[in-house]
Amino acid sequence: MQDRDLRARFREGDPDAVREVYRSHGQLVFAVAYKVLGDRGLAEEATQQAFVKAWRAAQSFDEQRELGPWLAAISRRVAIDLYRREAVRAADPLESAAAGDSALASSPESAEAMYDVWEVREAVAQLPPEEQDIVRLQHLDGFTHAQIAERLGVAIGTVKSRSFRAHKRLAAMLGHLRE
Amino acid sequence: MSTSDDDRIAYLSGEPVDSLTPQERAELDEVRGLLTTPATWEEPDSALEDRIVSAIAEEARRGRPVESAPPAPAAPEAPKSGREPWLRRLFRRPAIAFGGLAAAAAAIAVAIVLAAGSSSQAPLQFAMVVSGTSLAPGAHGSATLTKMSSGWEIQLSATGLPHLSGGRYYQAWLKNPAGILVPVGTFNDAQRVILWSGAPVTQFRSFSVTEQLANGNPVSSGRRVLVGIAHPVH
Repeated sequence: MQDRDLRARFREGDPDAVREVYRSHGQLVFAVAYKVLGDRGLAEEATQQAFVKAWRAAQSFDEQRELGPWLAAISRRVAIDLYRREAVRAADPLESAAAGDSALASSPESAEAMYDVWEVREAVAQLPPEEQDIVRLQHLDGFTHAQIAERLGVAIGTVKSRSFRAHKRLAAMLGHLRE
Repeated sequence: MSTSDDDRIAYLSGEPVDSLTPQERAELDEVRGLLTTPATWEEPDSALEDRIVSAIAEEARRGRPVESAPPAPAAPEAPKSGREPWLRRLFRRPAIAFGGLAAAAAAIAVAIVLAAGSSSQAPLQFAMVVSGTSLAPGAHGSATLTKMSSGWEIQLSATGLPHLSGGRYYQAWLKNPAGILVPVGTFNDAQRVILWSGAPVTQFRSFSVTEQLANGNPVSSGRRVLVGIAHPVH
């Protein structure tokens, strides 16, 4: 359970408390926004709006509730609104969006799905930097071990062993991600 | 042939592995999917923190417009067709606590196979090891799930979870591969709990316990503290 004093200070707009809440939940809010919007700049805008909205509503926030799910819900709502605004601006009717578009209210991501992205982020963030690089190059960028070895200037055996260690750590940390 | 941890790690890292079951493959594909999504990797600009603090400070100077707190997150929906199955726990031995990692790794569900009699009238029974998540890294225990005439009786025994009171409680859930959650009971202490499920464990084999608040919101908080996978007892 979050520090109630922190939540009370956040409600009062204490700058230090705002920073603390951002540092503890900013990645979650950003990850949710990015998952909806798929654009870094828009996700940052949504993150800022989400924190401002949260602060505006903080006086009515139930201190017994957890900040994370509440902030994630605000972020998702703000991101969807931003998506619609951008769609209108680009003369890109919502009807033309893909049916599975996660930004559309007709197919919202569940709270658990949003948390899953965050949990994976948190797990990756706990990897040593050299292992994070391997995982990112493999999964996000789609490079093979040989390509990664060439990019990083290390032996392919080093890449393979780092990859194995990284995925072993991730699998252990994310073993609770789904049942 | 049972899948080894190394097989699952190898598959997660992108290597071809033939020994995985379709469900294991689908669950690991889900994690791989999350690792490929840009949302997992993108970082906000480092100046965003200052922009947020400044924006809120400006609001405070101008006088805060009051907004009501948004409602609680929506209940988990029944998934659309084609939704990825859930990822089960991957390992069959307790996780090693990696040095330097802030969040403890979740322990690993282990299939418990008990020697049983060959009586055809023996009750259908499942069992599981339950393990703490990063929210409760020290929690662990076990449970048996037995088919009765009135439903499935779940006997849970776990340590390492604090006693909850004062409007806070634990809620246990079963979930099927399609992601449908079924509540199976609430309690304050996990050391010795009997829960009940009207949904068949044969189909709802993923078990979890969440921390909840007694605020009228029945949906899962998402704060999972205990997880496990039920396996049939032979």
